[in-house]
Amino acid sequence: MTKRSASDHSALCKPWEHQLSRRKLLGGAALGAAGAMAGQDLGGLGLGNLMAAAGDGSLDKKHKQVLFVWIDGGMSQYESWDPKPNTQFGGPFRAIPTSVPGIHISELMPKCAQQMHNLSIVRSMCTKDNAHSSGVGRIQRGDPKNRGVVYPFFGAAVAKFLGSGPSGLPPYVWIKPGSGGFIYQDAGFLGPKYGALAFGDGKPPQNLLRNPEVTTADDDLRNEFRRKANARFAADHPAEPVEAMDFVYASARELMKRGDLFDDAKVSAKDKERYGTHEFGRHMLLAREMLAAGVTFVKVNSYGWDTHGDNFNGHANLMPKFDQSFAAIVEDLAAMGKLDDVLVICLSEFGRTPRINGHVGRDHFPEAWSLITTGTGIRRGTVVGKTNDVGTWVTSQEIDIGHMFHTWFAALGINSKQVEYDNAGQPLPLAHDDFNLVKELLA
Amino acid sequence: MRRSVFSTLCLVLAAATSCLLDGREVSAAEPLSRQTDQHVAKGYSGPKAAQADDAEFLRRLYLDLVGRVPTVAEARKFLDDKDAAKRTKLVDALLSSPEHPRRMTEAFNTMLMERRGENEDWTKFLTKSFEQNKPWDVMVREIIDPRDDDETTRGAAHFAVNRLSKVGQQDTDYPGLTRDVGRLFLGMDLQCAQCHDHLFIDAYKQVDFQGLYTVFLNTAIRSDVKFPALTENLMTKKMDFQSVFTKEPMQVGPRVPGLKEISIPSFKTGEEYLVKPDRKTKVVGVPKFSPLEALANELTATDNRAFRENIANRVWWLAMGRGLVDPLDQQHVDNTPSHPELFKLLGEEMKSRKFDLRSMLREFVLSETYARGSRWDAKAGARPAAATYAVAVAKPMSAEQLFHSFVTATGPQPPDVNLADVRARFITAYANPPKEAEIEFAPSVKAALFLSNDSTVLELLKPKAGNLVERLAKQADAGAAAEELYLAILARRPTDEERTEVRELAAKHAGDKAKLYGMLAWALVSSTEFCLNH
Repeated sequence: MTKRSASDHSALCKPWEHQLSRRKLLGGAALGAAGAMAGQDLGGLGLGNLMAAAGDGSLDKKHKQVLFVWIDGGMSQYESWDPKPNTQFGGPFRAIPTSVPGIHISELMPKCAQQMHNLSIVRSMCTKDNAHSSGVGRIQRGDPKNRGVVYPFFGAAVAKFLGSGPSGLPPYVWIKPGSGGFIYQDAGFLGPKYGALAFGDGKPPQNLLRNPEVTTADDDLRNEFRRKANARFAADHPAEPVEAMDFVYASARELMKRGDLFDDAKVSAKDKERYGTHEFGRHMLLAREMLAAGVTFVKVNSYGWDTHGDNFNGHANLMPKFDQSFAAIVEDLAAMGKLDDVLVICLSEFGRTPRINGHVGRDHFPEAWSLITTGTGIRRGTVVGKTNDVGTWVTSQEIDIGHMFHTWFAALGINSKQVEYDNAGQPLPLAHDDFNLVKELLA
Repeated sequence: MRRSVFSTLCLVLAAATSCLLDGREVSAAEPLSRQTDQHVAKGYSGPKAAQADDAEFLRRLYLDLVGRVPTVAEARKFLDDKDAAKRTKLVDALLSSPEHPRRMTEAFNTMLMERRGENEDWTKFLTKSFEQNKPWDVMVREIIDPRDDDETTRGAAHFAVNRLSKVGQQDTDYPGLTRDVGRLFLGMDLQCAQCHDHLFIDAYKQVDFQGLYTVFLNTAIRSDVKFPALTENLMTKKMDFQSVFTKEPMQVGPRVPGLKEISIPSFKTGEEYLVKPDRKTKVVGVPKFSPLEALANELTATDNRAFRENIANRVWWLAMGRGLVDPLDQQHVDNTPSHPELFKLLGEEMKSRKFDLRSMLREFVLSETYARGSRWDAKAGARPAAATYAVAVAKPMSAEQLFHSFVTATGPQPPDVNLADVRARFITAYANPPKEAEIEFAPSVKAALFLSNDSTVLELLKPKAGNLVERLAKQADAGAAAEELYLAILARRPTDEERTEVRELAAKHAGDKAKLYGMLAWALVSSTEFCLNH
C-alpha cells in the first residue's frame, strides 16, 4: 500500500477551510487596512439611496432572462480580469489590450478581450467568506443580513419574480457536470418549487420523450386526476412536498414538449467548434439553446478552479476553455440582440490570494476580486472599481455581493428597495438592506 | 455543558426507580413505549394531532416494518378487524415475517453505503444478520474487523473495501472511510477535524479523527480473493500528526473518539506475526496485533455512550422520521437532543437489551408517539414543529419502498414480470446520487419522467392475469372498483367525493375501462400521498 503521512490533506478537510491560516498569510498590516475599509460607508461614492431608472418596481413588458456562469472554486483575478503583470504577486502572465481602449485583461483571454465592449468588469469585489462550503451559498444568496431564514439563491429569486415567461419551461435551469436532478434546496424560504432543475452533464433527462402509448389527451386526464389527489392530500398535510411534486410533474410535462432542445444534430458543427467540444463548451452551447428557447434563468457551472497548487499551469489550462466558450456566448447573445433582454453574470465565490503559496498555488481571497456582468440594464465596455498596484486590496469603494444583488435586481426591472419577499407574513428585503445598487454599472 | 445540574441529577435517579420532572412521572417500570410517550409529552403543552386512524397506522406500519404498502386483502382484514389488540398483533406479525429482514437490509444498506452501488456479499451479510436479528454491536464488529473465514459474514468487509477502492482518478479514500465510521457508528461527523480541532464544534478534536485514521491507514484491500476483504500491516508505533494551525507535533495510536488510546504491544523481532507474509508464495501476513480488532471491540463496547446512542437515534429516526439528535451525525454536547432524558434512556436501553434492534423498533412502533396522526387542521393553528412529535412527520419513501409498494399495489404480478429489472429501474429513478445520505424528501423531474414514460411502468398498469387493473376493469360496480383502487394503492377506502369521482369517470369512459383504471392507478401512484410515508 501507499505510504501516507498523517498531515496528508486528501479528500476530507480542505485547506481552504482554514480561515485562520489564511489570515496569517495575508499579513497583519494588510488585513488591518482591508478591515478598516470594509467598515466604510459607500455614501462617499455617491451611491447612497439611489434608484436606477429601471428600478421603478414595474417589470418590463419584454420577458427578461439571466445567464449565470458560476466558476466554482475561485477564478484568480490576476490570471483573468485584473492582471498585475511584473509586480510582486503578478505571476507569469502578461496583460493584453482589449476592444475597449485602456482596458487590459490577462493574455489567457484573447477572445474575451475582443468582446470587452460587450462586457463590464467589477474589480472591487470585497466579500466576507473565504470557505467554499459556506461561500458558494453566501454569494449566490447575496449574503443578506441574517434574519434566521434561509435566503433563496439568485436563480430561485429570479424564478419567483419573473416566472417561466411565455415559454412555460422550468424557470431555473442549472447545467452542471455530474449528476442532475431537482435541487430544491436552492429555493430557501421561497419553497421547493423555486428550486433548480439540474441537467447533469448537460444531458437530457431519461424518459424525456413521451411514450407513444400515452396520447396527449390521456396524459392530460391522468395528470388532472393526480393534481386533484394532491390537492386533497395538501388540505391537511404540509404543502411543501405537494408543491414540489406538482412542480416536478409540471416541469416534466413542459420538457416533454421540448425534446428538441437536447437534439445534438440541431447544433451546427461550426458552433460546436466555436464553443469548444470540452465539457464547459458543450454546456455553454446548451445554455445558449435554453436561453433561445426562453428559459428564464440558466446557470452553468464550471468546476475545478480551486488552484491551491500549481495555480499558473491550472489557469493556463482552464482559462482558454473558459475564454473560448464565454466569449462565444457573449458574441452570440450580442448578435441575436439578446443582450438587451438577458442579464449576464459570471463570478466565483471569491478570488485568489496575492501570495503564491509553497505549492505555487493561490489560496482563497474574498478581499479583492473581480466579476463580470453585462446584458440587460448594464452599462457595457466599462470597468468599475480598482485594486492597488499589487492587487492586495481594493483602493476604490469596496463592493459587496449585496450591492451587486441590488444592481442586478434593478437591471431586471425589480426595485429591491421597494419590493419585499413575503415569507409567510414576514416581510424580508430582497438584498442586504445596508447596501445600494452600483450606479456606474447601470446603463 | 448545557444540561442543568437538576436534570443530570434526575437522570441518575431515573436509573434507580423513577424520576419526577415537571410534575409528571416517568416510571421505569412501564414498557419502553409508554416511557417514550411520557418523555415526549413532557415539556410540550401545545396542540397535538389526533392518533392516526387504522388506515393511516396500517400503511405506516407496513412501510416501516416490511417496506411496502399492504395488499388489498391485508388492508381489508385489518380495517375490518374488531379486535382491540389488533395493532399490537399486526406489529408482531410483521416483525416476524420474512419481509422484515428484507426491509431492514434495504434501510441499512442505504444508510451505511449511501448508494455506492450494490454488492452481493454485502447484501448477504446484511440479510443474514437481520434474519437472525443479530445484535448491532456484533454486526459492527464484523464490519470494522471483517473475517474471511465465515462465508455469511465476510461480505461485511464491503463497507471498507468499497470506500477504499480507487474509482477513476479518485485516490484511495482513507479519510472518507474514517469520516464515515465516525458519522455512521458514532453520530460524529469528524470531517473538519482531520487537520485541526474542529473550528465550530469544541467536542470534535483532531486526535479523535487521527486515532481512527491510523487504524484504517494500516489496512489495504486484499486482491488475492474474490470476495471483499482487508489485510492489515504491522503496526509498531504511534502515528505522528500535527495541526495545520499550531504545527505542534503530536502522536496517537488506535483510539475511539472520546476513549482511552489502545496501547500498541511490542513483540520480539521475528515474532510479530501469526502468519508471516511471504511474497513468493503470496501468503498474506497476519500480525499478532490487529488494530482493527482492538478498535472494533472498543468502539462497540456497551460503555461507549456515543456508539449506543447513535444506533438508538438512528432506529428512532427510521420509525419517527426525525432523530432526537438532528442531524444524525451531529451528536455532541452543543447540539442538545430534542428530548435529552429520552435520548439518554434509549442509549441505556440499547445496552440493557444487548443491542437488539428489533425489540427497540417494536417498542417505538407501539408508542403513541409513533401512532400520532399526520393530518393537521389549519384551524388548530400552525403545524407543530417536527421536534415536538405532536404531529407525525411524513417520511420520504426510499426507492426500494416505492418499488415494493408499486408492484404490490398494481399486482399480484404475473410470473413473466422481471421484478429484478423493475427494481433496478426504480432505484435508478428514485435513489439519491452516490455518497448522499437519503434524509430529505427530494422529488425530481427525472422520477416524474420515469413514472410518466417508462415502458415497464406502463406495462404493469395494463390488465393482466389477475392484476389490479384487470380486477378493476372486470368490476361491474364502479363504487366497488373505487374502493379496491384506493385500498390497493393508498391503503385506505375512498372518501365519498373520491368514490363519486370514480363513478363519473367510469360512466364517461365505459368503452375502455381497463385504460381508464390504468390511468387512475397511474395518477394515484404518482400522487404525493403515495410517495410519502405519512
